[in-house]
Amino acid sequence: MAQSTLLSLRHICRSFGGIQALDDVSLDIAKGDIVGLVGDNGAGKSTLIKILAGAHDPTSGEVILEGQPRRLSPPAEAQRLGIETVYQDLSLIGTFTAAENFFLGRELALGRGPALLRWIRLKSMGDTAIKGLDELHIDIPGVRSKTVERMSGGQRQLVAIARGAFWGHKLLLLDEPTAALGVRESREVLDLIRRLGAKGLTIVMVTHNLDHLWQVCNRVVVMRRGRKAADLPSAATNMEEVVAYITGAKEAMPARATALEAGA
Amino acid sequence: MQADHSLPETSAPAEVPRALPSTQAGYPSPGARERRAMLMRLLGTYGTIIVLGSMLLIFSVLQPGTFATIGNFRNIINDMAIGTIVAAGLTVPLVAGDFDLSIGYVASFCGLLVVGLLSFSGLSIPLAIVLVVGLGTLIGIVNGIVVSKIGVNAFIATLGTGTIVVGLNYAYSGGIPLQLTQSREFTNIAIGRIAGVPHLVIIMAVVLALLWVILNRTVQGQHIKAIGVSPESARRAGVAVDRSRIVAFAIASTCAAIGGVLMASNLGSGQVTAGDGFMLTSFSAAFLGSAALREGQFHILGTLIGVLTVAVGNNGLAMIGAPIFTQFLFTGCLLVVAVALGGIGRRYGRG
Repeated sequence: MAQSTLLSLRHICRSFGGIQALDDVSLDIAKGDIVGLVGDNGAGKSTLIKILAGAHDPTSGEVILEGQPRRLSPPAEAQRLGIETVYQDLSLIGTFTAAENFFLGRELALGRGPALLRWIRLKSMGDTAIKGLDELHIDIPGVRSKTVERMSGGQRQLVAIARGAFWGHKLLLLDEPTAALGVRESREVLDLIRRLGAKGLTIVMVTHNLDHLWQVCNRVVVMRRGRKAADLPSAATNMEEVVAYITGAKEAMPARATALEAGA
Repeated sequence: MQADHSLPETSAPAEVPRALPSTQAGYPSPGARERRAMLMRLLGTYGTIIVLGSMLLIFSVLQPGTFATIGNFRNIINDMAIGTIVAAGLTVPLVAGDFDLSIGYVASFCGLLVVGLLSFSGLSIPLAIVLVVGLGTLIGIVNGIVVSKIGVNAFIATLGTGTIVVGLNYAYSGGIPLQLTQSREFTNIAIGRIAGVPHLVIIMAVVLALLWVILNRTVQGQHIKAIGVSPESARRAGVAVDRSRIVAFAIASTCAAIGGVLMASNLGSGQVTAGDGFMLTSFSAAFLGSAALREGQFHILGTLIGVLTVAVGNNGLAMIGAPIFTQFLFTGCLLVVAVALGGIGRRYGRG
């Protein structure tokens, strides 16, 4: 790949008590990549995403962002560095409008000092959110008047992803963006992800849906038992092969292969 | 996210299918289910206003000469002013998803303390008031820290601090009311009028306006509302959750202290337990308010309507000559009804 590397993980390990959630995972993410992260439950996808989001620190290993070793935790630090995460749930406030959600924690306000004395600029927030959604060709009525709990699941997901893209200028992490969505809504969300990719945003997306993965991702990373089982351009592989990696029917990691031979 | 929000809508109407007339083999027809959900939504949104409206109607019919007069309503508004300030303050932590059971005791102690500081320590009126209200703020901050940083359940924590405040109250007063030895200057704060409008009503309006602005027009208010809905989402979006909770408790306690000071000014003395009752009436008012216009959400205007409902009920009962015990029955029933209505609003309001 000719593009420059945005972020590298070097020999990342992470354990929780006695459980090794991630075991020596190395991964390079190039600028503009749309990486699909797949694997069975407990394979380490979530832990990997959380390390990228700054929600967990690796037990050992290095994170290199644009050539510099970085500590991404706490999540606010990852956000400051331009990494945004859209969690499967718990990302929006139901009683807030889309515009208010857009700016939650980063409100446009008059005045400085304690939050108690900062006058919130609802109008500017509404205008900016509408503009931001327009630029991504997201058509949602009532951005500044309708609470998101009155929107459909698909609209909520579009708002959540648009918010992530609005603030995350380097890397956008998506945790199961199409889970619990209908067919048409999934398509709208995938369209948005594709448009974001076309704008040059780097995206890592956890998914259980391989169909959806092929529709948007240029790379597939398969996790299995805390290790990276495969890392392939999606054009150079197929669903059958990826499923084989997920289930362990096929093992590609040379280190693991030799270890098995030595054990046998 | 989606499943989470759509659940109440689909599951709730199915809870009581047999009560419906149009049921067949225990299942309501879609139309009946919709009508029921609609009715519940109306109840959760306008329940309190219906209660208030019917009380106004009934008492007006029963006592047209005494209840339904401008003079009586002026009295009701004036009498409810202090309670409104305390209840509106309580609304802030409720919006943040917290409880504060200490407000009544804080009001009692602050009322007593301000009289003590004026009569026995010889402080000037402004200084005494600033000190006492500052103490209220401090108690609120302690509540907030215990609840957010140490993680003690808000019920227990504020019950604890409230009881400590009762202890301080008795330590200071010996359990005996303090008489105000000063001039009328202090009592004039509550009793005086400007252009015919009682000070109390003006102060109530100012406090209500201030709290409304804080909740609806400041960054802090936005954060308080967000953590009340989903603290985890708010935290992930970068909201300082603990700090917002502490601010909310501080606001409630400050308002309780202001209420205590005004109560002392109104009574002209420091009574040991005079403010204790504010706790129950404030909760009633706030919960009633959550079933007024906003489908189970706490809000300042709703709390005002809630206080008005409690006040009109008590006033009306007194007017028709009902014995005093009925007021307790009424207040107790109203609290239960209020919480039920708020719950209905929350359950059926979404989606």
